[in-house]
Amino acid sequence: MKNFIIVVIIKIMHIVLKIFGKNGGNLLGKLAYEWNPNIFKYFKIECPIVAVTATNGKTMTNNAIGHIFKTAGKKVISNVEGNNMETGILSTLLKNCTLTGKLNADFLVFEVDEGYVPVVFKDLKLDTLVILDFFRDQLDRNGEVETLILKINDFLKTYNGNLVLNNDDPNVARLGKANPENTNIKYFSVEKYDFATEKIKEAGEGKYCPFCNTELKYEYYQYSHIGKFVCPNCDFGNNKITTLATDIDLKNRSFKVDDITYNIRFNSIYNIYNFTACVCVASIYNIESETIKNALSTFVLNNGRLEEVEINGTPTVINLAKNPTGANVSLRILNEDDEEKELLFVLNDNIADGFDVSWIWDINFDKLNNVSRIITSGKRAYDIAIRIKTSGYPASKIEPYLSLSDAVNSFYSNNIKKYVIANYTSLQPTRKEIFKHK
Amino acid sequence: MKELKILYLYPDLLELYGDYGNIQVLKYRLEKRGFKAIIDKYCINDDAPDFNSYDLVFAGGGADNEQSILSKDLIKYKDDIKKAVQSGVFFLLICGAYQLFGKYYKGVEGNIVNGLAVFDYYTEAIEDRKKRCIGNIVISANLNGKETKVIGFENHGGQTFDINTSFGKVLYGNGNKFGDSQEGFMTENVIATYLHGPLLSKNPEVADYIIKYCLDRKYNENLILEKLDDTFETLCRNQLLEIFKDSQ
Repeated sequence: MKNFIIVVIIKIMHIVLKIFGKNGGNLLGKLAYEWNPNIFKYFKIECPIVAVTATNGKTMTNNAIGHIFKTAGKKVISNVEGNNMETGILSTLLKNCTLTGKLNADFLVFEVDEGYVPVVFKDLKLDTLVILDFFRDQLDRNGEVETLILKINDFLKTYNGNLVLNNDDPNVARLGKANPENTNIKYFSVEKYDFATEKIKEAGEGKYCPFCNTELKYEYYQYSHIGKFVCPNCDFGNNKITTLATDIDLKNRSFKVDDITYNIRFNSIYNIYNFTACVCVASIYNIESETIKNALSTFVLNNGRLEEVEINGTPTVINLAKNPTGANVSLRILNEDDEEKELLFVLNDNIADGFDVSWIWDINFDKLNNVSRIITSGKRAYDIAIRIKTSGYPASKIEPYLSLSDAVNSFYSNNIKKYVIANYTSLQPTRKEIFKHK
Repeated sequence: MKELKILYLYPDLLELYGDYGNIQVLKYRLEKRGFKAIIDKYCINDDAPDFNSYDLVFAGGGADNEQSILSKDLIKYKDDIKKAVQSGVFFLLICGAYQLFGKYYKGVEGNIVNGLAVFDYYTEAIEDRKKRCIGNIVISANLNGKETKVIGFENHGGQTFDINTSFGKVLYGNGNKFGDSQEGFMTENVIATYLHGPLLSKNPEVADYIIKYCLDRKYNENLILEKLDDTFETLCRNQLLEIFKDSQ
């Protein structure tokens, strides 16, 4: 009865919020959770739940999976806006359920914060869990990566559902051994792409085998510590691959799985991983490859995740970077493009960003390809200017502005191609400022 | 061409908070002035380094797991390191490395990780795992007689005791312990500190103090370093000091 009353009240609040044009974000879930932390048990869910977790790529992959299911004519409920902690997921459930807690859908698709997987799925039955990657991320807020991985490992010990794992990230692949009884583990992998390297190029984790502490051997690195590895001592990493992406062509934006070509709207190796995971999930639910093809060829995410726009005739690429790997992936795309370009880097140090900005020193700014000017902004505009200068890029071509509007005005004073990297809380203000020039 | 030889300890294990940036800053400031920076890296299983042949030894902070792996390796060089410190090689030690050079580190469960005991201080983990000294920090350090504000970011659970010569007085933040008045450990040729940032990126005066010390020692002179264009650094320092002053 208590839960019923909570749901009724939340529903009324939702309607009121809607009247005032508000979405509410985590708010509704937060209220309900404080009222009853066991409210997850109230929901009657008969369809499969698919969840995506990772350090980077959650929103992109979550939305792409939802888009594939929808293209297949399925009804999907999903936290598409990225509210991915227990309260955010609860909000999504509450907004979409009937008064008796029923969810009428073919699939529930959620992105879940790495730290919250065990909390959210204590009382919700998970059908498929996708794990993409683990990178260092806001150390002052999240602590060390290892702590997070161990938490998820504990959760997986009793989990028997589908587990879709990136076999090219040792920190993800190791989770396939958490529960030896689970027969539903599917590894995905991506073949070497043109800009893969023999030596690691950017900061990474997991240099040692988690099972025997031997140094892992890499055939190649795609980006950061993602690549083809194996433990020379215990053979960790040598798994049977369910979904293998081949023929990676970033110029023409396509890749193949089982000889079927998928055209996509993005040109980053990191998205090839995200979409390979999507293909793997879609095949679990027997979605036809023609449907996946259609879905991926139309999928875009216009919220600053590798967003491509024309601003007054100037081509602009905007990407969020919350951590070194996110920024390094953006710089990879920039360096793989030979055209002349300018870069805007916006760095804040608000609570949601982490107060510690030392992570920018793990970004590889060496040998930037044909970048004629760099503008920095945000609350820590000077920190990032110092960082870039020290990497060897000429100080005379760096312009720091604390004011974002000054920075963007100067940025669009010419029509040279633009790349924008913005961290978490600076992303939307930066987009807003940029779109004023449209 | 004058050159400095720098030994970077455990770059693959002690690399968590961008501390490698300290080496990049030193290299940058040396090369801008026409000096050469030779950087050698030492990892577990490499041949034993000759500590005394270096002008500067650097080690940073790492994850707990990595730190216990390497402490066993480092302890092999205890005597060599002591000799190098005594003969005046400069040691720049950040966070975990700072702790390892003391007598011991006592973990949450009471487990003792032996340090090199090059210095007399020791560190104890705070019992509550969630409690850490985290945040921006400003200290006042005495560099060749000049009081200098040093800005960084601290993130440590360990509380370090028995410091008689600190790196600086705490103006904002915690320091060696929660709410301490002192931060780090310093002698003429040692700076051991909890300050990340990386430390030298926002504190060119500390970087130049180290560079001058090493060059003077090596070439037996009293060098006046050429001024560099520190416009960004100055803007950054003024901005941050203003913010911290307001939030005090």
